[in-house]
Amino acid sequence: MSEEGRSRRLPLWLIWSLATIVLWGTWGLVSKIASAGVDAYVNQLLFTVGIAPLLVFVAWTVGKRGKRGESAEKRERRGKGVFWAFLTGILGGVGNMAYFQAMVKGGKASVVTPVTALFPMVTVLLALVFLKERLGRVQWLGLALAFVAIYLLNA
Amino acid sequence: MVWIGYAILALVLWGITGVTQKLSTNRISSERSFLWFCWAMVALSAAVLAVARPHWGLAPVVVVCSVAGGALNGLGAWTSFRALGSGGKASIVISLISLFPLLTVVLAVLLLHERLTWMQLAGAVVAITAAILLSLEPAPAKTEAKG
Repeated sequence: MSEEGRSRRLPLWLIWSLATIVLWGTWGLVSKIASAGVDAYVNQLLFTVGIAPLLVFVAWTVGKRGKRGESAEKRERRGKGVFWAFLTGILGGVGNMAYFQAMVKGGKASVVTPVTALFPMVTVLLALVFLKERLGRVQWLGLALAFVAIYLLNA
Repeated sequence: MVWIGYAILALVLWGITGVTQKLSTNRISSERSFLWFCWAMVALSAAVLAVARPHWGLAPVVVVCSVAGGALNGLGAWTSFRALGSGGKASIVISLISLFPLLTVVLAVLLLHERLTWMQLAGAVVAITAAILLSLEPAPAKTEAKG
């Protein structure tokens, strides 16, 4: 299908966004099914096996572009970027294990997933304190609703 | 109710990644950031293998679901980057993506026959609403002159 033909139907960003909803929405389901027969450690190992083909693909696409004679300043910047990305992976991975363990301990997928999906509340609070970002009224409302949601989901 | 403690731990850790991810993508491309995110997953798994004593002897369905979990999570992250890189406004794309727990709730009720109390159902709706509101970026403080 041509780019023009596709844009007349659905914009590309919307297709990718809907694909994300389907992929992440289904992840909660398969995690709950797996939690009946595997511990969080083995799940983490198998989870990494699942992500490996994508790692190879992305490594290939990034490697294809190359670095093209970087300056020292750029190298330093890249080093810091890599450090933060790696830390994101470690924290995200331990978070995945905690998410999975919540299901192993009997949490329903239909409750655990909405609770953990409230993680932007922590991001917003940290950005407020450490990155000195400003919060809009809508975000303050979201923050208040997040606490209400946790109370209701835990009831 | 031990599960809520683990769920909140996941929420806090993933919340921190929102900041560390931004610190990373301010310096390197989202693709390279994602690549190092994946390498960290590999390192974490190596540490798990070295430190913990995993119990094997698993049913095939469990293995398939665990591996699928990694693939779905990784592909979801990749498609979200593609959505942001294909002209979608961040505030709209991230708000839309925040709807993903709704699908989990629907699938869990239909396929796993999970039952929610009215309070939990209200909580799920409020949680998704909160996640959408939190993902909306505030308007810039100053409007820059055009031209």
